[in-house]
Amino acid sequence: MQPCSREMQAMNSLLNPTLQDQQIQTPPLDHPTSSHDDFLEQMLSTLPSCSWSDLKSPWDPPKSDETDNNVGFHYDEILASKLRHHQINGGDGGGSSPAAAAMKIMMQQQMMLTMGVSTGATGSHHQNDVVDCSSFKSLNQQGGEGSNSMQALFNGFSAGSLHETNQSHHFHHPQTPNFGATARTVMNQSQASGSTTPAPAQPKQRVRARRGQATDPHSIAERLRRERIAERMKALQELVPNANKTDKASMLDEIIDYVKFLQLQVKVLSMSRLGGAAAVAPLVAEGGGGRVQTTANGGGSSGGNQTSGNNDSVAVTEHQVAKLMEEDMGSAMQYLQGKGLCLMPISLATAISTSTCHSRNPMMKGALLQSNGEGPSSPSMSVLTVQSATPTMGNGGL
Amino acid sequence: MNKYNPPRMNPSSLRSRFATRFLRSLSEINAQKPTASSSSPTEIFRRYRRIKVAADKSMAYSVRSRRTWSRAMLWKLRTRPCGRRSVKTSTIVRKTRHEKQNKNTTTATTTGEDGVVSGVEADELRELVPGGEAMDLYNLLDETAHYIKCLTTQVQVMKKIADFYSP
Repeated sequence: MQPCSREMQAMNSLLNPTLQDQQIQTPPLDHPTSSHDDFLEQMLSTLPSCSWSDLKSPWDPPKSDETDNNVGFHYDEILASKLRHHQINGGDGGGSSPAAAAMKIMMQQQMMLTMGVSTGATGSHHQNDVVDCSSFKSLNQQGGEGSNSMQALFNGFSAGSLHETNQSHHFHHPQTPNFGATARTVMNQSQASGSTTPAPAQPKQRVRARRGQATDPHSIAERLRRERIAERMKALQELVPNANKTDKASMLDEIIDYVKFLQLQVKVLSMSRLGGAAAVAPLVAEGGGGRVQTTANGGGSSGGNQTSGNNDSVAVTEHQVAKLMEEDMGSAMQYLQGKGLCLMPISLATAISTSTCHSRNPMMKGALLQSNGEGPSSPSMSVLTVQSATPTMGNGGL
Repeated sequence: MNKYNPPRMNPSSLRSRFATRFLRSLSEINAQKPTASSSSPTEIFRRYRRIKVAADKSMAYSVRSRRTWSRAMLWKLRTRPCGRRSVKTSTIVRKTRHEKQNKNTTTATTTGEDGVVSGVEADELRELVPGGEAMDLYNLLDETAHYIKCLTTQVQVMKKIADFYSP
């Protein structure tokens, strides 16, 4: 791109002498016809008005209107990058110059992104809009009202992408990781170079990403990491039921319990395949007002469904539980819990079974099957098979 | 008995892949089931183990090696039946491979706690999710999400199978 390089050289020569001076007052603008150099001068004349430290005049939005869109687009991008380059250099001055260098590199990178896909893809525009918006936001904290005009300028510069600024905030969040990653790598580079001199006018300039008050790479990285983790936690919240907890620690507890519960369910279900789909284990309910115990499987709603086809295994478990109950109720409870079952009084069981009596329907969740008198023990006992069902049962879930 | 028509499902979805594999392995297990001694606890336990392993393996194979937890589970299942054959070296190899995989994903040097999540719970999660020991928190959460999704699939399919075959 011959004109590009020529323009860059011109710009560089113009930039260098002006960098030291933050108060450049240029003659009034001449609207260019087709000459790129004139356009350059015009751009540069309005540069100092946007310096962060000292605002002179409101920024005149896009000069790109006067230029040919096709040709001027590339130049606009380059110039925009140069603009910001100068902005930051002028603004920072002797201050955080690594930050300036990094910011330059950053801007240049996004310029390259735009230029690379200037013909078609709108994704880079999004990126640019977003990145610039975010960087503008950060700069805003320092600069004040200049950033809005800069933002408007940039929006005007991206030819044909003005409509995309509306969507920029949608992309802000997913773009922040890329932005942050680039920023971080950029910062490392800039710190290594540690240059106070203006970066050479190449397309591969590295610009530092300013994110609010913290220029410390560690804190920025920390913040990004926290954001990403928060994203993941939100995604997990949708998967796990009872996800109404806002506290992250309790959310993690919930997740852990749910994973344990699911694994236990798999174990229980695989046990149910034995002996031709025999019952996993029966639940033994004491006649006449025993105690009520919630299911051992944390988080899941109680009441699965499993038929008791094999009386032997049922009897075995019954005897086992009865034996344990004689010695110590706690161990009996633990035994039952290990099988994924619970103990409940008959009255409650009948209430549940009458309310959800479609035990054969595999789509049903929370169904109980009650069979009276199958057990060899006293007629007051009823045998129930309870399995905790996954609350997310459904067809199209996955 | 069953008027229940299975819904038209995507043939390449996780659920159908797992169901196919699991049913196949179940039929294999049933084929080799001895008629007697079904009720002895050891035999029952062994059968249970076999079925559970089949379920886990089916699930891990359905996910292929796309996920860290599936890779870890497959590796675990592969070395487990063969006893303690060269477990130590394999463990080391696995850990380094995990670390290499996750090194480029860890972005920043963590300063211990990031103020969001306590380390104790993260460790507990690491124990639960296979292959989670060598992962940082961010990837761990990612793996957990996928693992939960696959576990729910597994449970749903197994439950439907059990209901189908129960009298």
